[in-house]
Amino acid sequence: MSGPSFQYSRAANVHDALVQASRPGAAYLAGGTDLLQLWKAGAIAPAEVVDISSLSLDQVEFSDGQLSLGALARLSDVASHPDVKRHHPLIASAILASASGQIRNMATVGGNLLQRTRCAYFRTEGLACNKRIPGSGCGALRGENRQAALFGASTSCVATHASDLAVALAALGAEVEVLGAEGQRRLPLRDLYRLPAATPERDTNLTAGELVTRIHVPDASRFAARSTYLKVRDRASFEFAVVSVAAALHIENGRIVEAGLAAGGVAPLPWRLTRSEAALVGRAPGPQAIAAAAEIAVEHARPLAHNGFKVALLRNAVIRALQTIGGQP
Amino acid sequence: MLPGSSISVSLHINGRDHQLSVPACDTLLDVLRDTLGMTGTKKGCDMGACGACTVLADGRRIKSCLALAASYDGRSITTIEGIGTLNDLHQLQAAFIRHDALQCGYCTPGQILSGLALLDERPGNLEAIREGMSGNLCRCGAHPNIVAAIAEVAGL
Amino acid sequence: MTSHPALRYEAALKVTGNAVYEAEIAAPGMLHAALAKAPISCGDVLSVDTTQATDLPDVAAVVSYADAGVLQPSPATALIRERAIHFAGQPVALVTASTLQAAREAARAIRVIAQARPPLTALAQGHDEAFAPAMVGRFPAETRRGDAAGALAHADLVVRNRYHTAVNNHHPMEPHVVVCWWEDGKAVVHTSTQAIFGTRAMIAQAFQMPASDIRVISRFLGGGFGCKGQLWWPWMFWAMLASRKAGRPVRLELTRAQMFTLVGRRQETVQDLGLGFSADGRLAGIEHHVLAQTSTHADYSDSTAVYTRFLYACPNVTTTHRLVRTNEPQPIPMRAPGTAPGTFALESAIDEAAERLGIDPVELRVRNFADHDQEAERPWSSNSLIECYRVGAERFGWSQRPAKGTVTDGRWRIGWGMASTLYPAIRQACRVRVELAKDARLRVQCGTQDMGSGTYTALGQMAASSLGIPLSQVTVELGDTLLPEGPFSGGSQVTASLTPAAEMAMARLRATLANMAVSDERSPLAGRPLEDLEFEDGTIRSRTGNVGEPLTDVLARGPAEGLEAEGESAATQHQSLAASSMGYGAVFVEVGVDAELGEIRVRRVCAAFAAGRILNPLLAKSQYVGGLIGGIGMALHERTATDLASGQIVGDSLADYLIPVHADMPEFDIAMIEEDDPHLPGGVKGIGMLGTAGIQAAIANAICHATGKRVRNLPIRIESIIE
Repeated sequence: MSGPSFQYSRAANVHDALVQASRPGAAYLAGGTDLLQLWKAGAIAPAEVVDISSLSLDQVEFSDGQLSLGALARLSDVASHPDVKRHHPLIASAILASASGQIRNMATVGGNLLQRTRCAYFRTEGLACNKRIPGSGCGALRGENRQAALFGASTSCVATHASDLAVALAALGAEVEVLGAEGQRRLPLRDLYRLPAATPERDTNLTAGELVTRIHVPDASRFAARSTYLKVRDRASFEFAVVSVAAALHIENGRIVEAGLAAGGVAPLPWRLTRSEAALVGRAPGPQAIAAAAEIAVEHARPLAHNGFKVALLRNAVIRALQTIGGQP
Repeated sequence: MLPGSSISVSLHINGRDHQLSVPACDTLLDVLRDTLGMTGTKKGCDMGACGACTVLADGRRIKSCLALAASYDGRSITTIEGIGTLNDLHQLQAAFIRHDALQCGYCTPGQILSGLALLDERPGNLEAIREGMSGNLCRCGAHPNIVAAIAEVAGL
Repeated sequence: MTSHPALRYEAALKVTGNAVYEAEIAAPGMLHAALAKAPISCGDVLSVDTTQATDLPDVAAVVSYADAGVLQPSPATALIRERAIHFAGQPVALVTASTLQAAREAARAIRVIAQARPPLTALAQGHDEAFAPAMVGRFPAETRRGDAAGALAHADLVVRNRYHTAVNNHHPMEPHVVVCWWEDGKAVVHTSTQAIFGTRAMIAQAFQMPASDIRVISRFLGGGFGCKGQLWWPWMFWAMLASRKAGRPVRLELTRAQMFTLVGRRQETVQDLGLGFSADGRLAGIEHHVLAQTSTHADYSDSTAVYTRFLYACPNVTTTHRLVRTNEPQPIPMRAPGTAPGTFALESAIDEAAERLGIDPVELRVRNFADHDQEAERPWSSNSLIECYRVGAERFGWSQRPAKGTVTDGRWRIGWGMASTLYPAIRQACRVRVELAKDARLRVQCGTQDMGSGTYTALGQMAASSLGIPLSQVTVELGDTLLPEGPFSGGSQVTASLTPAAEMAMARLRATLANMAVSDERSPLAGRPLEDLEFEDGTIRSRTGNVGEPLTDVLARGPAEGLEAEGESAATQHQSLAASSMGYGAVFVEVGVDAELGEIRVRRVCAAFAAGRILNPLLAKSQYVGGLIGGIGMALHERTATDLASGQIVGDSLADYLIPVHADMPEFDIAMIEEDDPHLPGGVKGIGMLGTAGIQAAIANAICHATGKRVRNLPIRIESIIE
């Protein structure tokens, strides 16, 4: 277990990082919690790692209701930040449901969003995986696919995205700031990720050497009182989601003004439930509205041999999450 | 910095400075166990899933098997060897013994380091301890006694 | 000797990181080893080209099949001498280098040419080729008592179902390791093993060398649960050959991924179980048929249906065990072998019958209590199962059991369930040596192992209390074949085996000391009858008179080198047993099930166990709880998955193979019912595995009580609850 040796360099600053990362076979090292697992499993084989962990991209800033997370902020620091806890509690909840205390101290926001799928076919040498080795097939498709996606998959790849934080950020409409050799750009979180289609080897729309620098979360004060991150797992802790739901409601005069709803464990990227959100707007947060939104959430689900239970689970999880926050204050 | 296969690293471990030249791919766990012969920190899975390799880096618990040593240059590391001795046990170590919070002992150093860090977070009840310790696996089933030991030190 | 909760003997070493596990032995000049594996899961290796590996810098010796040609052919050496590939991940060579990374990179550089054959990767695929082994351990594979088919045909109630238990892996926290070297043709082998003498014997046989030229050491074992219980992994021999070839020590440490394929597993079972009852709840007939997986290179059947033969009273019982060979790793015993999968089926079926008969589940079991071993036609040496039911039920509050599906707690539907558990009480031969120095410090030696099971403590405590000295004055030495031969650590047999041997050694030592006192006119105890003497507080003194003297005084008058004594005990003579010995338990659980999300949590466990004499309640409780937690893992989480196309394990990590974490823990209430069993020398029955059976069915029964859903497959997971 472990891939071929790699070389190590440390970036002096952000621009130095871009330069170093432009060398072929270079990979960014932040917290290292996913990169080292992938390397030890033989799923990736970087020629060198460029250590960006000491760059000053770790600030958590809150102003005018908007939250800005430095991509190198550690998960535990974000979750314990007073402004995050008060104004964006959904983010804190999602982070605290992730991984373990040790990992949260090491892992960064950017690394968490960019983590590779937990699909065992991807992470195990010798198993068919188009994401790891294009053209080798998708072993999960007709193999062990309990973890597989319900939406957004293709016959080339049925892997899911495992980040809890990404699901919460998706529900809150976050944007990502990216820096590359060409300059800086800002894009909705959704556009950071790619569906597998015929090119599952590309998880993201980042070009080579591009660095995620910051995550911007719009004002979520209207949601703060009614948001929840529901993570369904086989064991009570320290496990990736089987299915998860991030839900946030803005209710005025007994009616839903706005809803933020996203699901994890069901798609190759955090799955925003836009149509469910729309169906909730204007309605009272009662059983019928909730059930209707949940039903919409599972429409067009395409289960495989072992993950069919996730359809009912997603439906029920959406209902449960909305019930939790939809009641009277 | 140009990329290299062997990196100069300065690590402050249990109060002592170590100047080392480490392979780029070595983790903190590799350095502790194989380079420095500090075998109190255990390798259970080498993949971040079991927590037996837990140490403190600047007082925060981390999994040393996922910590690239070169990336921890200049950091202050605490291992089980830095927590009490046979003749002067740390309060938590003594509690582990009294509560029989161990059996085979292989996960124990990691549980203790993790527990120490958790105590700093002031867990409010047993449930918080259990949740907070869930990154440390135990196959012998010493969990209830581990939690009891931590709870005693926490004054719960 | 009374029991007392002495603290774990080696705890201070373990909590300070000073317990040296065998991977941590400093061996100057040591090489690191890595294994290269075949690219196929079934077929033959045509060639292994190691040239690219040996060309790499830092690479020392590389060994493969050709090197193993010098070893004695046997089932133990087959996998490293023969070129047949039996399962995905099977190693084809071992590479050594000065660093582990270099060894791993060199292993990747080995070129294997193999001819593949289509692998059989599932029980279902090989179903038609199922065969019956002759024996299942020491039991016959097939038994018939009375006419079960006829009894079932005429029974008032028949409960007949199929049960399925998944593949599990042992996963002790410490991976397997060997650190070995040669000194003048003699082998020194540091290895994490539950069986130092068994390992030595296998090495002796393979290398055709005298056992006395081999030293095997395993002083601290980071768990075993059966996967370190025998020489299962022949690649240790490759490591030894590499060490001999390179002239340097070699360390081979398995990766966690390799712990899924190279060190055994709990086999998958499919069990067809039919229970026939009369209307008053008496068992009329039982048919228990087991189909399980074994490898293509060795046969192993768990004793899955064996306990059905005698757990309950029933005149008509048929049991069979059959195996299917697949290209998957070889199964071996894993904690609670046989009893864990077997009681899952039996105790689930009993529960179903209870519901259909309208009889309380505990009462139904009491009604069918076996007052003797009906299979071997022998009395029990002791059987406190009824007491276990009574005590467990009372402490759990079983009489308050609500009606099915009527209690909720927030999102949780609450259910209660219970089950019986049992495990054979067996002893192995054992020798113990004790040495008492003039300063009254005692050294106790036995070549057995402690894998967290409390052997150091049991031995130390027995010796200390029998001599009336504090445990701090006792040094216990285990885990070295230079010591007197002791039992392997498995089958919950060690404490039971040790106790009579230790007691004998100590009795002889006490007799020597007593005689030294009473026969010496310088002693205040001179002339006293031996029965008058007792050992307390470091003195030997009269029970009746107010005289005594410190042990050190007695010893001062004795030989300069102090005293020594040995004791021994025999193994259980199965053929000539006057009575059958089993430990028993009753496990009661409360579960919460979230019927919409499918999450299942065990909220509390109350278990009453009867396993003879308890030497140390503190450590015994730890063993019981540990066993129960293992059972919870099997019930709700553990499943090793195989990719049918390739035969490879899917999810060979502890992130995918889930075991219970701290947040999963229920409340535990353990009652230990002591038994005075005159048939058992030492009076001790094993306890380590009692907790790991029964609870799976108790959980399934509780889930049914909560939700009405009867799940007959393990592990029970979210999809078992949500369809």
